[in-house]
Amino acid sequence: MSSSLGTYLLRRLGLAVPTLVGVTIIVFALIRLIPGDPARLILGLQASEDEVQRLRIELGLDRPLYVQYARFFGRLVRGDLGRSAVTREPVLGEITHRLPATVQLAVASITVAALGGMTAGVISATRQYSALDYLVMTVALFGVSLPVFWLGLMLMLLFSVYLKWLPAGGYGTFAHLVLPAVALAAFSVAIIARMTRSSLLEALNQDYVRTAHAKGLRQRVVIVRHALKNALIPVITVIGLQFGTLLGGAILTETVFAWPGMGRLLVGAITARDYAVVQGVVLVFAALFTLVNLAVDLLYAYVDPRIHYG
Amino acid sequence: MEGGGRAVGSTFKRLLSVAALAAVVFSWQGGPAGAQAVPRQLRIAIGIDADRLDPAEQTTTTIANIVDYMFETLVDLHPVKNEIVPRLATRWQVSRDGLTYTFTLRRGVTFHDGTPFNAHAVKFTLERLQDPRIAVALRFLVTPIKSVEAVGDDTVRITLSKVTPTFLADLTTTQFAIVSPAAVERAGDRWRAAPVGGGTGPYVFKEWRRGDAILLERNPAYWGKKGPFEELLFRVVPDAGTRLTQVLAGDVHQAMLPPAPDVKGLRRNPRVTVVEAPSDRVIFIVLNTQWGPLRDVRVRQALNYAVNKKAILASVLFDLGTVVHSPCPSMMFGYSPVQEGGWPFNPVRAKQLLAEAGYKDGFEVNFFSPTGRYIQDFQFAQAVAAQLRNVNVRANVGTMDWPSYVAMIQTPLERTRVQMIVLGWAWPVLDCDGVLYGQFHSSNHPPRGLGPAYYHNPRVDQLLDQERQEPNVEKRKALLKEAQQIIWNDAPWIWLWSQKWYVVTARNLEGVRIHPIEKWTALCEPEAPAVGHHCVTWK
Repeated sequence: MSSSLGTYLLRRLGLAVPTLVGVTIIVFALIRLIPGDPARLILGLQASEDEVQRLRIELGLDRPLYVQYARFFGRLVRGDLGRSAVTREPVLGEITHRLPATVQLAVASITVAALGGMTAGVISATRQYSALDYLVMTVALFGVSLPVFWLGLMLMLLFSVYLKWLPAGGYGTFAHLVLPAVALAAFSVAIIARMTRSSLLEALNQDYVRTAHAKGLRQRVVIVRHALKNALIPVITVIGLQFGTLLGGAILTETVFAWPGMGRLLVGAITARDYAVVQGVVLVFAALFTLVNLAVDLLYAYVDPRIHYG
Repeated sequence: MEGGGRAVGSTFKRLLSVAALAAVVFSWQGGPAGAQAVPRQLRIAIGIDADRLDPAEQTTTTIANIVDYMFETLVDLHPVKNEIVPRLATRWQVSRDGLTYTFTLRRGVTFHDGTPFNAHAVKFTLERLQDPRIAVALRFLVTPIKSVEAVGDDTVRITLSKVTPTFLADLTTTQFAIVSPAAVERAGDRWRAAPVGGGTGPYVFKEWRRGDAILLERNPAYWGKKGPFEELLFRVVPDAGTRLTQVLAGDVHQAMLPPAPDVKGLRRNPRVTVVEAPSDRVIFIVLNTQWGPLRDVRVRQALNYAVNKKAILASVLFDLGTVVHSPCPSMMFGYSPVQEGGWPFNPVRAKQLLAEAGYKDGFEVNFFSPTGRYIQDFQFAQAVAAQLRNVNVRANVGTMDWPSYVAMIQTPLERTRVQMIVLGWAWPVLDCDGVLYGQFHSSNHPPRGLGPAYYHNPRVDQLLDQERQEPNVEKRKALLKEAQQIIWNDAPWIWLWSQKWYVVTARNLEGVRIHPIEKWTALCEPEAPAVGHHCVTWK
């Protein structure tokens, strides 16, 4: 198994390479297809045209597109993502400045979401059609529907302005992390709760569950060890997808909570037409997403021993 | 320079946050806590992160505002008196031909790295601005400098290649702030992001945490009045609603541009102070003077008659603007009011003029506005369109993101989509030349310049060319006055208002003022005769 797992891993990682190259081409083309002149945007409306033209040449924007792409790709294979047109700093540095904040928020948020969502799902499924079930599912409906910028502001009003328990946005301490993590988790909690509920309900109707009950196992053991374990595969898939999305930068949450993550870096770069940064950030997002998906696939084998790779 | 407060998000989002914040603003019961100890760290929420901190490469007013705490210019502009006052230079003399400026420098001033501020540093700074490798956004303000000569330790002589009446005012912009030659050389490539030890100002650079905050420390050796706070933290908070929430929660002591719809309620809130003042950013609707019906001056005048500026200001802009009386805003040198109260609201006259021009049944026109760039921009554009409809002009309002918008403006006349667009124009130097030459001189038609009205009047071109070389103040004023009158009546724009700039501060923070160039007072204003010293304090 271990050698076949190794081959599997290598093959998957190998497949990621053309995917990522495809991503670079798409991003490169897309960001240049929309109108906007980076040099003018950086220097502002009042800058003189001579100065703007000088910057265009310096940024290589006067060259044909294929030359620009070739340059970009040539640097990329040497591990160089280029320099930001706005700050003139290496793109890699800009990303590494922001990555920790994004990872922190994504991990905190997915933890809240997984724990909260699975608990709610289990409660709901084991008490199907009870008042509690309806309550949990209604709350979940709100979780999916509430826009995060509104929820975020409401949380800040309650916990920062009135109760003064937590800071209203910003970055640094654990206290700063709580509100954004909760606000961001709201959507994922709801999705995970619903998925856990339906998947667990399906498992609870299986013959092996009836057998387990017949053996005289306690309800809790039946649910946790037999039903839930079998119901986990789709739940893990959803958690994986959610985590990938969260790593992709929670743009609104980062904006509302003044969180210095990658999502804001990307949006800022798009509005400034800072091509190098957009390309770099999207590439990193794509790579992270690929890795998370791979990790999820590997987790399947752990949860369900019937799954083999090879 | 571009304003720093870009609103984020859709109208829907704004509505929701407005409702949420209005609840807080109106429902607050508790009063101020009275005198409080001076905080160790003063925290100010800003809307955007810095791009770079080198004074020479500033592109954004808000970031230049932060740089002003660390770096100082030779001369400064007094925001109330509106005159040039000393900063690092104590005296100056201009030669009779207007080509040579001799500055006497302040003695005993040292840079943060301990090296002395002297004539050599001034020469180094000004020559560095001419280096093509430094991205100086407003380099055209530098190009008149022919040579800089250090005459002894505390005297500098600057020779210009052509008469530049605005030169002293130009020197007040942040890009001319004097830097320490030793610090610049030591920092090398890191200077842009970490200008350690390089300035003479009351605060010293400590740290820039990307996307999060910029931290400054008090300069214990400052030559002037020292700041009351040990540290200054500028926190990057892109969302206007969050900036306000942070002030209300006490997390920050000052925030720039809270949501415009909240300002009315905040003015009545006893816990905070709204500091607001007219800025030199004029907001207007460009009329492409070389497109269809707008080629006729009567049509353009009719559109001016058709718009009720005062009503829109009161109902859509929460009074965050003042109607303009001339193409040039009132705080600029050379301002001369052409029509008190602005272009009158008179739809009957508008209809008459349209009929005279042969557009009795009106016409259709494309009308674009950015969203979230200027105060209530897309919202007021819709109000304007509704008023134009009353005189049968059917303006189809559209919007697009800012980069596409700028690309639209930069297009040459043959290919332009501009018929009618909302635009704002501010100038870092308070001189009418900035707005008049930039927008109405025919050399500034896009893509060469950014004057999308494609306005061309040979007499105006002539007046503006003369004004740029006229050393005599009174004669220059007369030239600017005539230009303003002609342009106003030619109506290449629908004249609207000059926008206010505003911050909200904790009640205890006193003395913050708004400078017309969209900055707030960086600690202490320069001393001016008859006005004296004015500083920010904590009560």
